[in-house]
Amino acid sequence: MKKSYISVLFAAAILIVSGCTKLDEKVYSEVLAKDFVPTQNDIPSIVGPVYSVMRPMMMDWQGYFDVEEESADQIVTPGRPNGWVDGGTYQRMHKHEWTPEEWQPWNLWLNCFSGITTANRVIYQIESGEIAMTQGKAELLAELRTVRAFYYYLLCDNHGNVPIVTDYTNTELPAQKSQLDVYNFVVSELKACIPLLSKDVSTATYGRFTKYAAQTLLARVYLNAVTYTGSGKWAECEAYCDSVLNSNKYSLTANYKDSFVTNNESSPEIIFAVPYDETKAGGNINHMKTLDPLMRKVFKMEAQPWGGSCAVPQFINTYDPDDSRLTDTWIMGDQKDPATGEVVISFPNTCTSIYSTARNEGYRIGKYEIKQGMKSSSSVDFPIFRLAEVKMMKAECLLRTGRAGEAAAIVSEVRARAFKSNPSKAVVTAATLLGNSKYVYGNADELGIVTGDNGAVIEFGGFLDELGWEFAAEAHRRMDLIRFGVFSTKKWLNHVPNGNDKKIFPIPLEELNKNSNLVQNPGY
Amino acid sequence: MKKNNLKNHRQKWSKCLSFALVAVFMLMCNLFALAQTQKVTGKVTDALTGESLVGVSVYEKGTQNATTTDINGVYTLSSVKKGQVLVFSFIGMKTIEITTDARTTYDVVLQSEATGLNEVVVIGYGTQKKGDVTSAVSTVKSDKFLQGATKDAAQLIQGKVAGLTVSSSTGDPTQGTQIMLRGISTLMASSEPLVIVDGVPGNLNSVAPEDIASIDVLKDGSAAAIYGTRGNNGVIFVTTKRASTNTPATLEYSGYMSTQAIARQMDFLTASEYRQKIAEGVGFEDLGSSTDWFKEVTRTPISQSHNLTFKGGNSTSSYTASLNYRKFQGIFQRSDNDQFIGRLNLTHSMFNDRLKFNFDMSSRNMSYWAGGDGYSFNPEIYRQVIIRNPTDVIKDADGVWQERDTYMYNNPVALLNEADGLNKEKELRYSGSALYTPISDLHVKLMVSRVENSAMRGYYETKQHVSTTKYGKNGYASRSASSDFDNLLEFTTDYSKNIDKHNFTILGGYSYEYYETENFWEQNWDFPTDLYTYNNMGTGDALIRGEAGMGSGKSSSTLIGFFGRFNYNYDNKYLVMASLRREGSSKFGDNYKWGNFPAVSLGWRISSEPFMSSLNFIHELKLRAGFGVTGTAPSDPYKSQTSLNYGDRFLYNGKWIQGIEPIRNPNPDLRWEKKEELNLGLDFAFLKGIVSGSVDLYKRTTRDMLYDYPVPVPPYLYGSILANAAEMENKGVEVMLAANNPFQSEIFKWTTSLTYSNNKNKLLSLSSDPAYQLTNDFINEGYTGEPIQTSTHRIQVGEPIGNFWGYKSVGVGDDGEWIIEGKDGEQKSIVDANDADKQYLGNGLPKSYFGFNNTFNYKNFDLTVNLRGAFGFQILNFSRMYYENTYDLSYNKLASAFDLVYGKELKSQLCYVSYYIEQGDYLKLDNVTLGYTFNVKNSKSFKAARVYASGLNLLTITGYKGIDPEVNRSGLAPGNDERDKYPTTRTFSVGVNVTF
Repeated sequence: MKKSYISVLFAAAILIVSGCTKLDEKVYSEVLAKDFVPTQNDIPSIVGPVYSVMRPMMMDWQGYFDVEEESADQIVTPGRPNGWVDGGTYQRMHKHEWTPEEWQPWNLWLNCFSGITTANRVIYQIESGEIAMTQGKAELLAELRTVRAFYYYLLCDNHGNVPIVTDYTNTELPAQKSQLDVYNFVVSELKACIPLLSKDVSTATYGRFTKYAAQTLLARVYLNAVTYTGSGKWAECEAYCDSVLNSNKYSLTANYKDSFVTNNESSPEIIFAVPYDETKAGGNINHMKTLDPLMRKVFKMEAQPWGGSCAVPQFINTYDPDDSRLTDTWIMGDQKDPATGEVVISFPNTCTSIYSTARNEGYRIGKYEIKQGMKSSSSVDFPIFRLAEVKMMKAECLLRTGRAGEAAAIVSEVRARAFKSNPSKAVVTAATLLGNSKYVYGNADELGIVTGDNGAVIEFGGFLDELGWEFAAEAHRRMDLIRFGVFSTKKWLNHVPNGNDKKIFPIPLEELNKNSNLVQNPGY
Repeated sequence: MKKNNLKNHRQKWSKCLSFALVAVFMLMCNLFALAQTQKVTGKVTDALTGESLVGVSVYEKGTQNATTTDINGVYTLSSVKKGQVLVFSFIGMKTIEITTDARTTYDVVLQSEATGLNEVVVIGYGTQKKGDVTSAVSTVKSDKFLQGATKDAAQLIQGKVAGLTVSSSTGDPTQGTQIMLRGISTLMASSEPLVIVDGVPGNLNSVAPEDIASIDVLKDGSAAAIYGTRGNNGVIFVTTKRASTNTPATLEYSGYMSTQAIARQMDFLTASEYRQKIAEGVGFEDLGSSTDWFKEVTRTPISQSHNLTFKGGNSTSSYTASLNYRKFQGIFQRSDNDQFIGRLNLTHSMFNDRLKFNFDMSSRNMSYWAGGDGYSFNPEIYRQVIIRNPTDVIKDADGVWQERDTYMYNNPVALLNEADGLNKEKELRYSGSALYTPISDLHVKLMVSRVENSAMRGYYETKQHVSTTKYGKNGYASRSASSDFDNLLEFTTDYSKNIDKHNFTILGGYSYEYYETENFWEQNWDFPTDLYTYNNMGTGDALIRGEAGMGSGKSSSTLIGFFGRFNYNYDNKYLVMASLRREGSSKFGDNYKWGNFPAVSLGWRISSEPFMSSLNFIHELKLRAGFGVTGTAPSDPYKSQTSLNYGDRFLYNGKWIQGIEPIRNPNPDLRWEKKEELNLGLDFAFLKGIVSGSVDLYKRTTRDMLYDYPVPVPPYLYGSILANAAEMENKGVEVMLAANNPFQSEIFKWTTSLTYSNNKNKLLSLSSDPAYQLTNDFINEGYTGEPIQTSTHRIQVGEPIGNFWGYKSVGVGDDGEWIIEGKDGEQKSIVDANDADKQYLGNGLPKSYFGFNNTFNYKNFDLTVNLRGAFGFQILNFSRMYYENTYDLSYNKLASAFDLVYGKELKSQLCYVSYYIEQGDYLKLDNVTLGYTFNVKNSKSFKAARVYASGLNLLTITGYKGIDPEVNRSGLAPGNDERDKYPTTRTFSVGVNVTF
């Protein structure tokens, strides 16, 4: 009997020893990095994520659009009967009382560094030979560095003092750089890359950084150099604007609206855009955030919009009634069900306060085409750079360097398509551009009566107004208000100035805690 | 030709078999003929009542010589050899073995199992006598189970095991109970106890409640450590009813019918009250009709359950087979749950019991109506019922569902009727084991099992559903299927030896478990007709257009363990248990593939000491101390791996192509959460065991607790990483007291038990690893939902899980806005408040639980009365927070919305303030059952028969204003009484149990 149980134990021992102590993971619906051997054919897929982070970054929930617009004087997200208080975040954005935990600027930080890390990774993969490239290596590396420089530009503009990381293999906690260092890095990167980038402007390069997109970016960086460095780089800005203009690759569209339609990828005016698609590449939800729920009926939408953001009435009041950009940018007045003709809702140009409004108050953002049968995601591509901006940048350089007349000519050219009903009004004078803004600053009470402005004249205020009408709801306004000295000095709606330090956002608290090398920006 | 060959072969084979069988039979006959035999007789009585026991199985061990006692408790067994062992067994009684001598009469007294120290307790990979147990283990036998319409195994022992809280927080017939053992000991990992059904991992609904014989709970770490990384939340053993050998053929039927009523209805305005408010100047809109929306979607549900078990066995084989069918209806129309379970157990013993085989198989089929995409009842229906204007019509003049354009506002009757779906789940379990006993007290066991789960669901929204009438989907359908299996192999060997007063048992084992799961889903819309519903997915156009989605996935994991246990006692006085499990999981990172989980526990049976012998009233007194280390593995596989996936699209040359990128930060240090638990216990029994009980004190510390830590990008690829760095502590006391017929009355008997437990939870650290630091020493959890949109709870270092965090309201200002108590104690308007003014407003987890279970027997009547309570906690009443205001009058309101708040009229928008946090303390009359047992002594066909009427969740004594204070306690935001919750109900049942 003893023998038999010994043999059973022996058999069991064999079972255990030969049987498994192996704990390898077997994957099925994901790919282990070690199993993926990239080739030249995989490059589009590998490069894709460097760009695709721009979709959530720009027009998605509390993205770049909100960072640049809700902190400025054209758009607010006031409390509504169905919510839109959200812990007071929209009020803080409006009143420049954001905290280091405010999601909108933090979200931008995360998306930028996500794009930077991806760019660093792909650059490393190419440079190290991990991805075997037989052609176009130098051009692709330059493009990746340009995209990375774009993210660093956004960080320079919004957070100022951020780390600069270019080496994917470095696992140390990165060191913080000053806003000036970041600015210099962006300038030098772009200067180095521009000669290597593609000059092709076609479907093949749509949504990617070409030579001209990089030049426009550099021009914009120079335009705002006064904000980052304290001294203007107007000549440099003008030179890069000229490079783009002289390429003759772009033209202004006949109608202002043409660059914001569903198929705006065919607009000859767009230099660089973030492509969106309602089914394949979601993330443009601007219409969902601004439209009242009832607008579902007007556009026969496949989703019920949420109803929040609207125009600041004080800004709407600056428009010339003949300026078609007013109706091309904003949804106002009676909104009818196209089937029955019944008025579903009517938007007056009012906004009781940032704290509380009726559901219909305020003009809604209609710049980006809202087609019939709209889904919860839009197919309208978000233009980052278009030719009108290059022209206006050049005009601003001229204006600021004592050539107001030349500037007025360019501005008049850009205005022309907006005053087709009354062409004489398209012409703007140097005096107007040099004059004060038409914007009636001051706090607005429940009835819209504005009081309490400091009375200070805005230098080149007339030009700021032009920028406001041309680029309303294009995420430009914060940058422009800062450059024209309005951001931290003027009052609008319920906003009162809250210090110069607010020109850059705080380093997000969680990032400070994650990286002990980071020091909080002044004033936070 | 071939066929013939096969036939010949078969015939040959069967001839051989017959020959062998005949040979064996003849050999056996010879053996019998050689022995000297005699006829024995006697009477079997119940030790407690003294009454004779009918149907006790009596057999000669190792033979087929068996009988049962007659109606007078008398048995007669012929041809019994001298020196043989007679076995007396009866359900609920301790089995007795007697070695025969020259006598021919053996009267036997059977002890009830439930009170005896020799009661056998399941402890994992074996059993132990209750008297020898040195850790915190609780056992509940079927006669103590909750009766009536129970949802799952956990509800059977609700309030009966101190420290195991079982709550039933929803009336949804597809939802089971929530269980929690000794508090919450994790932030992200599973908080579910390991459930072992007849030796194989399973769920609390794997078997029918009617089929369960006993439930054993390993509460402390020293007991659970043998289960390694599955032991952190304790182990629950479910043992099904099974025939022992020598069981006469028996047929049992039990069944019940039940109905339900909502536990308490929220007081929303009726149409006439609504009009009255309009007359008083409230800005509601009178739409001219009167509709009781609640009535339109509810019903008086009828549920039924039927269970049929037949079993029997001779001296070498036994069988148990059962069929269980139940059809549950919920109070909402269409909400249901049908379940069919078939189960089979076969045992077989060979070579004089040296080799025993066991086979278990069960199949469970569940199906229920799906009113939502992927789930059962659509909670939106309930929300729409209560917020809908009571003066609105259900359908307009054209017979079309009346819809309105108010935000988040749909016709509930349409939602109910224009969606149709079916969820089907199947669970198939089989296991087989061979137990070999080469020499006495040495057991070698091999067990293999496979558990398969599969699910298939379909869901459709018709063209009259709002998805079409509002959002233009033109018919919407979705389907999904999933399937998984869990293969387990366990090899164990144990050996027991008694040398003088030294008694020891050693156990060694190996366990290999492989789990694989896969799933598929698709959706489509724009269908040509409603007639297909979800059964012809390809006819929709949205998938062709690329708008609709589909997906699939698959994953697997492996868990391997080596384990050993050593039990020793000296003279049954000094008891020692030591165990160790070494376990590895494929889910762990490369640097931590294997972990060790040791445990040790000691017991001292003071009552066995000579100095106690004079204290006659003390029946048992045992002091226990145990320490054990257990773990919890991360829930998902691959978290330690560097993986890539294709996904987000990128416009490349005019085409949307998919980018490929890493999907997570890999963590090669990923490992188990490690819990260390110290348990001190005292078991006692007085007056021959009439009064007994136990007290346990525990302290459990979870280290290396998993959390998604934020990390900087770069150098990391993603902003968070799953890592082990947090620490939590739970301490508590558990008391169980029981009395078994304390007055020793023969006519009126009373059995009672009382359980009490409290638990104190504390988060010790959110990160003990400098590499993983959080911004704050707290995490906000819980969510109010739209439109308030804020978190409800805060988990902070040094504080317990479950703390409500928000503004403390102290009044309402003249402007109608809340006045809150700010950070420095000063009062301010909520308009001027910010996050710094928020404070702790209570805690959603009860500090203590209480259970009081009583059974009274008077003649043939039995009455069970169970009380349960939970104390020291608060509830955030979402219904009041959302509906007790007059802010947005497009929705219906609670009648109390028009009451003054702090003596003022509230005009604020909806806010999360302490005004809506209420005391949750409650005492429930949870289960009352009145039964009558028929006298079947003279019946030839019936062995037993009983009828009963039962009520569940009958009466609640509480100050809480919501439907039921027994709210959700799972997760990290306990105590949130969500406004959309399927209301809990009172259940009334009548049932019958008969045995043939």
